[in-house]
Amino acid sequence: MDKRLGKISKAMMYGVLAMLLLITGCSQPSGNSGPAESAGSNGEPSASAYTDAVAGAIGTGGKAVGFIFVGTKDDYGYNQAAYQGSVAVEKAFPNLKVLRAENVPETAEAERVMEQMIKDGAKIIFPTSYGHLDPALNVAKRHPDVVFFHQGGLKTAENLGTYFGTIWEPVYLAGVAAGKMTKTNKLGYIVSVPIPQVLLNVNAFEQGAKSVNPKATTTVVFTGSWCDPGQQANAANSLIDGGADVLTQHQDCTKTVIETAERNNVMTVGYHADASALAPNGWITGSVWNWPDLFVDMVKTAEEGKFKGSIYDGKYRGTLKDNVVQLTDFGKNVPDDVKALVEETKTKLINGELHPFAGPVKDQNGKVRYKEGENPTIEQLESMDFLVEGVIGTIKS
Amino acid sequence: MKQPTFVPVGVSGGIGPFRSNWKPLFKQLLVWLSPFVVFGVFLLFYHVNPLRLYGSMVQSTFGDLYGLGEVLLKATPFILTGLAAALPAKAGLVNVGGEGQLAIGALFATGSAVFLLERFPAWLGIPIMLLAGALGGALWGMLIAALKVKGRLNETITSVLLNYVAGYTVAFFVHGILKDPESFNWPYSPEIAWTLRLPIFDGTRLHVGFIIAIVLAIVVWYVLAKTRLGFRIRVLGSNRHAAERAGMNVNRTYFWVLVAAGALAGIAGMIEISGIEGRLRPTTGVNYGYFGFLAAMLAWNHPLKLLGTSFLLGMISVAGNTLEIGSGLPASSATILMGLVLLFILGGRRRAKR
Amino acid sequence: MITADILTGAIRSGTSVMLASQGELLSERAGVINLGTEGSVLAGALGAFATTVWTGSPWLGALAGGVCGLLLSAIHAFLVISRGANQLATGLTIMFLGIGATSFLGRDFVSEQIVGFNPVAIPVLSDIPFLGDILFNHDPLTYLSVLLVPCLWYVLFRTRIGVILRSAGEREEVLFASGINPKLVRYLAVLAGGFLAGVGGAQLSLAFTHSWVENMAQGRGVVAVALVIFASWLPSRAMLGAYLFGAAQALQLTVQQQGLGISPFFLFMVPYVLTLVALLIVERRKHSNTPEALSRVLAGEGGG
Repeated sequence: MDKRLGKISKAMMYGVLAMLLLITGCSQPSGNSGPAESAGSNGEPSASAYTDAVAGAIGTGGKAVGFIFVGTKDDYGYNQAAYQGSVAVEKAFPNLKVLRAENVPETAEAERVMEQMIKDGAKIIFPTSYGHLDPALNVAKRHPDVVFFHQGGLKTAENLGTYFGTIWEPVYLAGVAAGKMTKTNKLGYIVSVPIPQVLLNVNAFEQGAKSVNPKATTTVVFTGSWCDPGQQANAANSLIDGGADVLTQHQDCTKTVIETAERNNVMTVGYHADASALAPNGWITGSVWNWPDLFVDMVKTAEEGKFKGSIYDGKYRGTLKDNVVQLTDFGKNVPDDVKALVEETKTKLINGELHPFAGPVKDQNGKVRYKEGENPTIEQLESMDFLVEGVIGTIKS
Repeated sequence: MKQPTFVPVGVSGGIGPFRSNWKPLFKQLLVWLSPFVVFGVFLLFYHVNPLRLYGSMVQSTFGDLYGLGEVLLKATPFILTGLAAALPAKAGLVNVGGEGQLAIGALFATGSAVFLLERFPAWLGIPIMLLAGALGGALWGMLIAALKVKGRLNETITSVLLNYVAGYTVAFFVHGILKDPESFNWPYSPEIAWTLRLPIFDGTRLHVGFIIAIVLAIVVWYVLAKTRLGFRIRVLGSNRHAAERAGMNVNRTYFWVLVAAGALAGIAGMIEISGIEGRLRPTTGVNYGYFGFLAAMLAWNHPLKLLGTSFLLGMISVAGNTLEIGSGLPASSATILMGLVLLFILGGRRRAKR
Repeated sequence: MITADILTGAIRSGTSVMLASQGELLSERAGVINLGTEGSVLAGALGAFATTVWTGSPWLGALAGGVCGLLLSAIHAFLVISRGANQLATGLTIMFLGIGATSFLGRDFVSEQIVGFNPVAIPVLSDIPFLGDILFNHDPLTYLSVLLVPCLWYVLFRTRIGVILRSAGEREEVLFASGINPKLVRYLAVLAGGFLAGVGGAQLSLAFTHSWVENMAQGRGVVAVALVIFASWLPSRAMLGAYLFGAAQALQLTVQQQGLGISPFFLFMVPYVLTLVALLIVERRKHSNTPEALSRVLAGEGGG
C-alpha cells in the first residue's frame, strides 16, 4: 500500500514540475491582446485573395455561419426569434453550413464555442445575446478575418458590428392600446431582472399608456428568472389579484402568462412572438422581432466582402420603419377607435413626428431624466437605468 | 427521533491510494464504450454519423494543445469545488455548498480587485486577490458551519438553500455598487486590472490556476492521508461516537472543516475571475459547484482520484460543444450523453468498501 | 386581502414541491437519498403534459407523469440498490439526465395548448369567508395531495407496511429476521417516491402553469429534497415546509407590487432565507422545550 502511495505522490510531483517548466513558456495577458492566437486553426490559405480584392475581405470565403444563443430555440421568445433568422440564412445560402449552439452561457465559455465554429470554417458569427459581447470582442481580436454581428451590443470593433431592433417602438404602441383598453387603469408587467433592455420596454409601455390615459400605472414584477413558468403564474395571479386588467411581459418563455391571463379574463399584450392564438378573447396586440430579412442581408453583405463601411459596420438599429420590429395584428375584442389611434400613432412614429421618450421625462422620484426638447440617443435608451413616473416597482439595489 | 440510516454514500471510508480493483480489461472497456454505442444509435436515429461526430469530438479535446487546454481549463474549478465537497465528506459531512462558496469567493476577489488592488503589481496583487477569494468562500462556509454547530442545522439543507442566497447576493452587487460604469448599465463588474490576471500557457487559454488546483488537491490529500489532523477527521467521519469517546471536539472539527472547504471553493471563484473571466457577471461559475460535487462523489471523495473525475467532466463539457455544433442537435443532447457516460461508470464498478 | 392571496399562492405554488418531498420522504425513510428528484419532477411534468395533449385527459396525464417520474427513479434504484453506486453522485447524474432528456424530448410540446386541471370550488366550503378561497378553490391534484399526507402518515406509522419500510432504513436486521428482502423494500420505496415526484411535476405542468418548457422545475425538486431534512422525515412537516416555501415565493412577488423600495434581489432570497429561519426556530424548540415527547406524538410510537 505505502509503496504505491509513494509512487503516486512522486508521479504527481513530477507532473507539477513539468507544469512549472511549462509556465516559463507562458505569459501574462497584456494590455490589449487577449490570449495568444489559438493554435491549430487550419489557417486555410485563401487562394483567391490575390486574384480578387473583394474576395480577400474579412468575412468572405467561409464555409459556414455560426449562431450562438443564450437559450434554446423553442422558448417562444427571444431565442426563437433569432433562430428563425438563422433558418432564413440557411435557406438563402445553401452553400453555407449554419452552425448553431444553444444555451451558451454569457461567460468566457462562449469564447470556446465561437473558436470551435471558426475552426469549423465559419467566417461570419452571430452572438445573439447581450452577454456574449465581451467574449465576442475577445475572439474578434484573435480572428481579424472573421466578421461578428452582435445582437444588442453598444461596443464595436474593426470586425465586429452590432445590430438590434427598436422594439420599444411597438411596445410603446402596445402601451397606447393598453392604456385605452384598461378599465382599472392598472397594467401589469412581468419581467426577469432589471437590465437596460427590460427597463426600456417597461418605460416605453408606460409612456404609451400614459400618453392616452394619464391615470394608467404599470406595476412591474421581477421574477429573477428568464423562464420560470411557476413564478410567472404566481406573478400573473398576484398582479390580477392586485387589480391589473392588462398583463404583459419581458420573459423568454411567454406562454404561461398569456394563458393565465386568458383564464382569468384579463387582457394581454404579447412580446417576442405572436401568441394571439393563446388568448382569443384577451389578446390586444404584441411586439415581435423580424430578423430573417435582416440576417440574410447582413450575411450577404459580409459574404460579398462589403462589411467594411456598410451600415452593419457599427451600431445598426432596425426600426418599425425598416420592418425589423413589428406590431402584431389586433385581437378581436379591440374596438376600431383604439385600432385607429394606434395606427395613427404608428404613422407619427415612423415619420419621426413622435419620439416616445421626448423630454421632459421624469423618473419615479420625479427627477427629470430627459430635459424639455431632448430626444435621447440610442446609447442613452439602451443603457436605461431608471423607471419612469407612473411605474410601480423597485429597481434600486 | 432517530434519523434513518442511509446506505453508504461514500462519505466515510479510508483514504488509501487508488483502490482500483483490476477487473478484466474487457469489462472496463465495455463500461466506457456502452454509453457511446447507445448514444450512437440515438444519433443514427437523427441521421447523424456517430463515428464522424465522435472523431471530431476527440479532435476538439485532444487534437491540439488548445483543445487540451480547454479541457484542463474547464476541469480546474471542478477540482476545487470537488475538494470543497470531498474534504467535509471525509469528516462525515455533506457540503453541497460549493456553488455558493464559489460565487461569494468570486465576489470578494472581484471586489478586492476593483476597489483595492487596481494599481498593485502582479506579485502582490494576485496573492491578495487569492486570499480575498478564499476569505469570501470561507465566510460563506462559516455560515453553514455556524448553523451546523450552533443551530444544529443539517449542513446539506443549509448549504443548498444558501447557494441560492449566494447567487442573488452576487446579482445584487453586480446590479448595484459593483456595476461597471462603462458597460452601459449592464450587470457586470468592471474588468479587473491586467496585472491581476493569472499568467496563461501560450497557445491556449489555460492559466496557472490549474496548477494551484492540483497543488491544493495534493495538499488536501496529504493532510488527510498523512497527518494527525487528517487521521482525526477520518475517524470522525467513519465513527462519530468513537471520535467523541476519544475526547475529540467534534463541533470544532466540523466547524473548521466546513470553513476550509469554503475557502477551497472560494479560491475556485477567484481563479475563474482572475484566470479566465476578467470580470464578475451574475452567471459566473454557475453549476460549477454541482459539477465539483459530482466529481467528488464519482471519486469516492479521494482528492487524487478527484483530479481524474474532474478531467473527465471537463472533457465531456468541452466535447459537448463540439457535439452540438457538429451534429446540429440541440444542446440537451450533450447533457444526455454526459448522463449516459456517468451512469455507466457509476453502475459499472463495484461499491468501494466502507 | 393580501394575506389571502399569499396563502392561496402558498398552496398553489407549494403543491408540486410538496408532492416531490413526500416522495423523497418515502425513499429516504427506506434509506435511499434521491437527488434525482428534480429529474423525476421534470419527467413527470413532460410525461403528463404530452399525454394530456395526446389524450385530452389530464387524469391520464397525471398518471403518465407519475409513471415517467417512476421510470427515471428506477434507474437510480437499480444503480444504487443493485449496483451499489454512490447515491449522491447517481442522484445528481439522474438529475442532469432528466434535464437533458426532457429538454430534448419536450421540444415539440412547448407550443402545445392544453385544458389541464382547473380550480374546482368545493360547494358550501368555498363560501366560507377568507378560508373558503384559500383552502377550497384549487385544482383536483391539490386536493388529492392534501389527502395524501395523512394517508402517508398512517401507512408509515400505523401499518405493518410502514414498519417494514422504516426498518429498511433503520434496522435491516429486523427485515432479514422476518424473511423480507430489504432491497426489494427499498426498490419499492424509491419507485413510489419517483411516482409522487412525477405527479408533482404533473401538477406543475397541468394545473399550475398549463404549459411545458424545458427545465421548468427550476430547482423545485432540489428544494423538495432539502425540505425532507427540514421535516425530520415527517409527512406533515414536509407539507408545512413546502407551503412555507410556496408562500414565500408568492409573498416576494406581492411585496414587489407595493413599491416599498426593497431591492428585488433581496426579495428573491426570501423563500430560501425564510426556510432557513423557520428551520432554526423549529430546531430550537425541539431541543429546548419539547424534545422527544412531542416528536413521539407527532411520529407515533414507531417514530423512532
